[in-house]
This record gives sequence, C-alpha cells and structure tokens, in this order.
Amino acid sequence: MDEARRARLTDWLRAASGDPTLVIEKMALLSGGAIQQNWAVDVSDGRAWVLRTDNAATLAVSHGRAQEFALLRAAFAAGVTVPEPLFLCEDAAVTGAPFFLMRRVAGTAAAHRVVKSETLGGGREACVRALGRELARIHTIRPPRVDLAFLGEPPVDACRAFVADQRAALDRQRTPRPVLEWGLRHLERTAPPPVPVTLCHNDFRTGNIMLDEQGVTAVLDWEFSLWGDPHADLGWLCAKCWRFGSDAQEAGGIGPRAALYEGYGEVDDARVRWWELGAHIRWASIAVDQAERHISGVERNLELALTGHMVPGLEWEILRMVEARDAE
Amino acid sequence: MLSEEPEAADLLATAREVLLNELLPALPPDKAFAARMVANAMAIAARDAAQDAWEPETLARMAALAGDPRAFAAAIRAGRFDPGTPDHGAAAALLDDLTRARCVVSAPRALGKG
Repeated sequence: MDEARRARLTDWLRAASGDPTLVIEKMALLSGGAIQQNWAVDVSDGRAWVLRTDNAATLAVSHGRAQEFALLRAAFAAGVTVPEPLFLCEDAAVTGAPFFLMRRVAGTAAAHRVVKSETLGGGREACVRALGRELARIHTIRPPRVDLAFLGEPPVDACRAFVADQRAALDRQRTPRPVLEWGLRHLERTAPPPVPVTLCHNDFRTGNIMLDEQGVTAVLDWEFSLWGDPHADLGWLCAKCWRFGSDAQEAGGIGPRAALYEGYGEVDDARVRWWELGAHIRWASIAVDQAERHISGVERNLELALTGHMVPGLEWEILRMVEARDAE
Repeated sequence: MLSEEPEAADLLATAREVLLNELLPALPPDKAFAARMVANAMAIAARDAAQDAWEPETLARMAALAGDPRAFAAAIRAGRFDPGTPDHGAAAALLDDLTRARCVVSAPRALGKG
C-alpha cells in the first residue's frame, strides 16, 4: 500500500475510531486467499487489527466486504468465536476497494498442520467437540433478519435448492460433467424432507478455522454463507475431500465424528451423509471453475491449473459414494 | 518412430527428479510450495504423455448409450439411467471406466496407486 493510500487510511481510521491521534505503525500483507487480501495492521496503543479487502479478480458467488462484515457482526453477537468486527469502509476512494477492520486473532489455520497435530485445539476430541458447539451457535441465526437481507429469500427446501443450484452451475460450465450429474441425480432421488433453515457458514472446514493449543480462536471466511439446511455445514466439515489425508478422523481430519456430533447437540446422521456427497459435488464444481479461470486466461496461475486436476479424484469418490448408498 | 528420444514422459520424469532432489533442498522454505506444485504438474503431464488413447472407445460406448457427453449428461439428469432401468449397469460401468482413465493421469492416489 503506497504512502498516499496509507495516509487516507489513517485519516479514515481516526474518524471511524474517534481517536484523532491514531497512527498506523506497521502494515504487512498476510497470506490471503485467492479472492481477498488480508493485511496485518499494527495501530498505536498496541491495537492489533486485520484489514480485509478484495483482490482484483473476485468470484461471483462470494459476498462483498460489506456483507461479510454484517455476517461477522451477526456471528459475533450469536457467540460464535470470530474476530471482533470493528469498522467497515464501503468507499473505494480510500484504498482502492471496500474494506473492513477486525481484531487480530492468534493461531494457525493451515490444514496440513492442523490434521497432523495431536494437541492443537486442545486435542483431537476436544477440538471437534468445540467445532460442534461453534456450528450450533452459527445455526441459532435464523431468518428473517433485516441485517442479513442480502442473503435473499430462504429456500423452502434447502436440499432441492442445492441440487438446482449445482445443476445451474454445471449448465454455466464449458464441459458436460456426467459424473457430477450422476451424483446430483442420486441426491435428487434420495433428498430428505425439508427442515427449518438456518444460517449456514457454507465453508466451515479445516483450513478456515483458526486454532491454538487451547481451542478454537476464530471461525474465518464467511463469504459463502447462506440460508440453508444446518446439516450442510456438518457434511462439508466431515466430507472425505476435506480431511486433508487424515481420513480416519472423520470430522475434518481432526477428530472423531461422534465428538463433533456431541458438541453440536441433535444431529440427523443420514442428512449429514446426504450433504457429504453434496460436498464432493460442490467442491468438484468449484474446482472446475477455478481451473477455468486459468484456462480462459482470466488469471494464469499454476495453483488454479492444478486444482482442475483434483476433479477426477473427486468424481471417483462420488461414484463410490453413490454405489454404496444405492446398495444400502 | 521418427521423433527423437527420450520422449516427453521420460524428460518430464527426469527433470522432476532434478527438481525434487537437487533444487528443492536448496530453495528457501517459502518457495517449497511452489516447487512442489511444479513437481506435481510435471508428474501429471508425464502420466498424460504416457497414457494410451482411451477416449475413442469410451466415446463409442457413450454414443451407443445416449450420444455425445452432453447428451449423456442430460440423460443422467433426466433419470434415464436410474437404478432399476435397463441401462443402469452399463451407464455405471461407463462412468467408472472413464473416471478411472481420468484418475490415472490426474489422481492415481484416488485409485489406491501412486
């Protein structure tokens, strides 16, 4: 961030915080996602903040900064362990893009480290029990909510809405995907009846949850949240494709499924399994889209290119899951 | 027959060994991830170069069942190959075979190999 932007940011923060003597002591780019940039901002009087803003190329399905800020506020108020949201700036003239600030939280989210650790999050069982409690708190947020109006009308039947949304996503893609269609048709045939919808984080998985040795320090990455079936979040976390090679630990590669369910409260396991198949289909479709950004030239990038080659492995898993479920 | 050996798969595999055994240990830690991605890309490309042509036979089986891949996908969506339909087994076997062939290049570990 150049001097002029930093000066404008300082002025804006002084007004937002009501502290006319505020000084930015240090700014450093943290390892951000493909979509956002996160900056560590050290502010006078020992205040440690994070500034979150958009990258140039943004996925159409993700929420903007203002929406993410509203979600963070709702989650914080519901007792979810999230970084406290501080200030939102929707004026792109300050730094070049909308941004918000939140309190900086310590911990690690790196998936491959998390699944290997016996102690992070307070140990495997304690950690997934805590993750169950976090999800239960997220799912206390229910429609209607004026502050979350941007999420749109809640679906009457979240399972059927998921199938329809995934088919629409496939219809937007360049190449037909018979295996993903096979999985979606199975989901359509076996969809459970609707349940009352709640807020779903919709990307609640290892890698997006920050931990220290004591427990969960932050649930991150709220940009895909929507009104849906709460079991979708449990299914996304438990899906084999998000266990990062630690397959025996069914809750996110971190700990046992039973402990997650205990932490959560009442769980309909059959619904969770339905959503686990859905998770593989959704991730495969996202992977296709990410690779397409590379292939189309929108963003030439080796990581995006390799993500496309994850699709066949996910398809193989989808075929095995459908086969096993049809044999039941 | 007329092109010079070693061929693409051999070159890629050999270059990948150099990358992993000689270059990676000498790289600063923050470049290890990028180097591993390059090694992964080379492994996929090498398997791709070594794979026999499987698509014509697969496309012929698909054509006999439903048509081109788009028609096949649409027929699956419409329920034409649901369990209990006459061609369910043939469609499932075709999906298995084409996915196995795709995994041989992209994700051999999914098949319990590599």
